[in-house]
Amino acid sequence: MSICEVRNLCKEYPGFKLKDVSFTLEPGTITGFIGRNGAGKTTTLKSMLGHVHPSRGEVYYFGLPCAGNENLIKQRISYSTGTVNYYPKKKLKELIAVTRRFYANWDDAACAAYLKLFELDPEKAPCELSEGMKVKCNLMLALSHRAELLILDEPTSGLDPFSRDELTELFTFLKTRGAAILFSTHITSDLDKCADSIVYIRSGRLVLAAEKSEFRARLGLPGETLEQTMLRLEKEARNEAYSV
Amino acid sequence: MKHILYKETRLSALKLSYVFVASALLSLVPAYPILLGGFFTSLGIFYSFQAMRENRDIGYSLLLPVSKADIVKGKFAFVLLLEGASFIIMTIVTALRMSVLKDAAVYRENPLMGANLVFLGWALVMFGLFNLCFVRGFFKTAYYIGKPFVYFCVCAGAVILLAEALWHVPGLGALNAFGTDHIALQCGALAAGGAAFALMTYASLRRSVYTFEHTDL
Repeated sequence: MSICEVRNLCKEYPGFKLKDVSFTLEPGTITGFIGRNGAGKTTTLKSMLGHVHPSRGEVYYFGLPCAGNENLIKQRISYSTGTVNYYPKKKLKELIAVTRRFYANWDDAACAAYLKLFELDPEKAPCELSEGMKVKCNLMLALSHRAELLILDEPTSGLDPFSRDELTELFTFLKTRGAAILFSTHITSDLDKCADSIVYIRSGRLVLAAEKSEFRARLGLPGETLEQTMLRLEKEARNEAYSV
Repeated sequence: MKHILYKETRLSALKLSYVFVASALLSLVPAYPILLGGFFTSLGIFYSFQAMRENRDIGYSLLLPVSKADIVKGKFAFVLLLEGASFIIMTIVTALRMSVLKDAAVYRENPLMGANLVFLGWALVMFGLFNLCFVRGFFKTAYYIGKPFVYFCVCAGAVILLAEALWHVPGLGALNAFGTDHIALQCGALAAGGAAFALMTYASLRRSVYTFEHTDL
């Protein structure tokens, strides 16, 4: 059974339409979510979680529809919007003390381990952390309740190359434990390293959702990296739009 | 719900809001428009909503394993907690003014509304209006707080004026009864205030849950 199944997700804003986005996330896989700025990545992620109200479409987690099962589903998944951008003046230990109460499977030992791994000081407040450390702080909260699915919106933005490498290694470790990870990113080299599948979106429409090898076979040229493939496809789409 | 209320009190609430609850003690002050105590309690709650918005509390709450409806209910629980605390203080002060202090000259010669059960009824109307105008207004966008608070201020001002003026109308002087005089009328006014509060709060909660559910965040 898929951990998450997105079926024909649509969202209409004035001037932007997300149209019929469908893909699945399997246990123990890392899926990269790519597309240009404004392509609809964040809208898709927010629609998947009910933060924005989809015009149409369905999202299932663990076989359960998201609508009406939010509490149950959110116990088993985690969503992170890049950096910690809430309660900038509260100490991390206060944020942890409040957050942990909401999760039935919160793991204090894992929380302590991730604090140590990410070198986060619980006496510090988010406003005292660098952008990269804020990302790690969000991840620490997400990982401490042993989420089976991590949905991460640009988790590697703002991180130095070493921290990004650490993070992709962590994703690979979590994958071996059976967790599924969906993360949007503009740094496609991270996906070259760790992703199993790619979901590529352009102007609100799904271009392709496939395993990385299939993605390369169908859209890539021999010897191309993901970034080169994406750049070429975007340029082709732009040129096509101009020619019309 | 207890976890959400814990979050509200531990993270979201400003300590200033709790201080403002003490403004319910203004109902002890003679020659003062004592309904302002209820207004100041509401103002204190407003400050917490302002801080909550600056701290992106809604964004944080959405990450937690709670539904959008529970987020709204949590905010209402926090508001009701502070309004309840304020109302209890007002009730104690009113009980004092209706019993041991009922013949005190400073209250007998008070040109403004005295503290009795009618006053408590008006205080409940004030809180109900806060829930209806401000809290419901906030959840229309889960962001803007200015316009809903201005609406509340206008309504609160009208209620204070009405409450202070009504007992001067010939035949309605009993609304400013001392002690247990006209107790049936006083009880009726309190019950009417309670019913108005319950109705406004319930309508506000239902509407807020609906609008927040359909708001894109």
